[in-house]
Amino acid sequence: MQKRKFIMGDDAMALGAIEAGVKVVTGYPGTPATEILEVIAKERPDLYVEWSSNEKVATEVAMGASLANMRTLAVMKHNGTNVATDMIMHFAFTGVKGGYVLVSADDPGANSSQNEEDTRILLHTYGHLPILDPASPEEAKEMMKNAFDLSEKTGSAYVLRPVMRVCHARAIIEEGESTAPDREPSFEPDRSRFVMSAVNEPKAGGKMRPMWRHELLNAKQEEYKEISEKSPFNWIEEGKGRTGFIGCGIGFAYIKEAFSHLDLNLPILKIGTLPLPPQKVRQFLKGLERVVVVEEIEPVVERMIKEICFEDGLKVEVLGREKFLPAEGELNTQIVLDAISKLGIKELPEEFKPFDKPKMPIRTRTQCVGCSHRSLLNAMKEVTRKYKGIVTGDIGCHDAGSFPPIELQSTIYCMGASIPMAAGLASTGLDRPVVAMIGDSTFFHMGLPGLVSASYNGANITVVIGENGTTAMTGFQPHAGSGVDVRENEVPKISIEAVAKAVGATVRTVNPYNIAETKKALEEAIKEKGVSVVVAKAPCFLRNSKSDQLFFTPRAVEVDVDRCNGCKICINDFGCPSLRYMDGKVSIDKATCVMCGMCADVCKRGAIV
Amino acid sequence: MKLDIIIAGVGGQGNLLASVALANYAMNKGLEVFGTETIGAAQRGGSVISHMRISDKKIYSPLVPQGSADILLGFEPVEAVRNIHFLSPKGKFIINNYPIPTVLCNMGMDQYPSEEEILNILRSRSPQGYVIDASEKAKEMGTLMMTNVIMLGALTGIEPFFDKQEMQIIIAELLPQKVLKNNLLAYEEGYKMITDSNAGLVTA
Repeated sequence: MQKRKFIMGDDAMALGAIEAGVKVVTGYPGTPATEILEVIAKERPDLYVEWSSNEKVATEVAMGASLANMRTLAVMKHNGTNVATDMIMHFAFTGVKGGYVLVSADDPGANSSQNEEDTRILLHTYGHLPILDPASPEEAKEMMKNAFDLSEKTGSAYVLRPVMRVCHARAIIEEGESTAPDREPSFEPDRSRFVMSAVNEPKAGGKMRPMWRHELLNAKQEEYKEISEKSPFNWIEEGKGRTGFIGCGIGFAYIKEAFSHLDLNLPILKIGTLPLPPQKVRQFLKGLERVVVVEEIEPVVERMIKEICFEDGLKVEVLGREKFLPAEGELNTQIVLDAISKLGIKELPEEFKPFDKPKMPIRTRTQCVGCSHRSLLNAMKEVTRKYKGIVTGDIGCHDAGSFPPIELQSTIYCMGASIPMAAGLASTGLDRPVVAMIGDSTFFHMGLPGLVSASYNGANITVVIGENGTTAMTGFQPHAGSGVDVRENEVPKISIEAVAKAVGATVRTVNPYNIAETKKALEEAIKEKGVSVVVAKAPCFLRNSKSDQLFFTPRAVEVDVDRCNGCKICINDFGCPSLRYMDGKVSIDKATCVMCGMCADVCKRGAIV
Repeated sequence: MKLDIIIAGVGGQGNLLASVALANYAMNKGLEVFGTETIGAAQRGGSVISHMRISDKKIYSPLVPQGSADILLGFEPVEAVRNIHFLSPKGKFIINNYPIPTVLCNMGMDQYPSEEEILNILRSRSPQGYVIDASEKAKEMGTLMMTNVIMLGALTGIEPFFDKQEMQIIIAELLPQKVLKNNLLAYEEGYKMITDSNAGLVTA
């Protein structure tokens, strides 16, 4: 690797972990964190890197490695942190041995997520873990290295919480010195720490062990605060005036940018750690009448500042995302500029004044041209329409089947929710068939317990599993059913059919590019009692389009303009982006068509041939 | 010196390669470079916006603020207009005249704006820019995938910071050998689309 490179924040964090001597890296793909693990796997073939089946598993594998006194990294997005919460709440109590860094990447604005969440609340306010919150890719790399050192110094896991605009920003990053410790793996049992059980602890005079560990965790908070006071990631920038700005993580970047446009020189407190450095905060608040806290997403630091003001009896007005700034979404420079203007600090120049954005047609995500999910969704749409079926959806590329034009899935929640929600709907005795739609990576992530439960409880549902061999949505990461590991080495492939059979479901496998066959299997499954699984198997087209592994025979199709009556079935029930509708007729955009020929099978009038 | 550039397009149009080319160019000049893009749905037909910031001073935010972009490269007309608020009133735009209808437009639930509507909005924000047939040219030369290189060629035609020959070297480093020759021809075509006397200049 070159010494100076223009790379993503994720790549920068990967470099930081490598320089810190990480030995074991685990995670599950999720935007915006995915690339961290991929880059480490690519750059350092000697390190142990795995795509775990889900984030809880990832945090547990990482904990095992930490107990062997090795530096370990677990990487996930905020939804994954939710999944891993149970383990996290336990290692917060036990502490760790080898440096343990948990990356919990937040997606403010839900650019690429089902919800937006501030995991600082989960991990710090709730879990009492210390957090580093970077303001830039450069700082994220430094924080990664620092987090490993601090984790070993304190014996606690450290959290790195980058947001979307740190993970997916691109910046010039320089290679740094190695801070890797030189040691071999070793293991010493320490049951009073690493056995979390409701048992009386002799070391604590017979107290219940969980309560004793809780006391130790609470006592740790003072140590974290001292570290924060000395941290290179917190500082005060002196300025003029009685209004100060507090910039947490990326919030600092927008404050600096806004001030540079207006030539402002107000005092700034830059915050990169939780807990806060209480003395530094007090020093900053001295002499100020008002502070504005700029943070993503929730008013976490804002409330902590209010608490300090309350404790000290300070009459400082604390403004932030609770009431003053927008309470949801990503921040940007404009939001800080508007705040400055609203507070009457400075008038905004013309280009920053409110601007009426022109209304343009919205663009929704859809399946790629040639994607097997599109013909699968079409078959499901036809069959469920015929039988008044209800479809519960799941996370993955196929979720776009819930948007117009197809509008098939009636629900999308979190990873794996489709199957239990289908079982729940069916359990009411509703006189309609219920179908769950899930992808293969999601199935192995959290679909499996739902399928086991549905089968065990005798649910009457159909489960459609779109098996494309990869985690397509996040950029083709392999999973337990792919037959390859993170470095594309061949590994045993876990068969979804065999798993479903073992669970007691009936199983049918179809090629989704064969719409007639798929519809037939779906009809049979829907009419059956119990849990019926339909595995729709075809490799991800986007990933395989350049190989010969296609599951369809290419067909050059044309619209017979005389036969086309503009019924729009191909548009509304299939919706391929290469199909255009104008003046009552459909046409095919040859420049983007990949000749899957599915639209010809969808057309009821034989107008596409 | 500072140059803020917005590239607005649709997944699959090659925003990323274009923004990496701009970054590498500026890095070679020893300048600061910072940017970001939405890539979550990049290959699935969603909107993709790249923010690319170049400066001789420290850059704090990867996002270009409203009204600050010196150049708006619209790989798709509606996406360009959707991001017009980024463009500085003193900025310039280059729009690829190749509408990609949205799913809802296809269904007749939404109306794709007319060329005139689009031009009017562009003109109301910035007095100078070009509308060029980059994608049509790319198709004619073999593949739509060269749209981005044509747009880069056009950019060197309007922005003196980017030297045509130097940028060509940067692009060549980023492309696979087998498509290089055709792409460099396309790059040249993009440049000509701006510098030819009958180029699609739009003035207020």
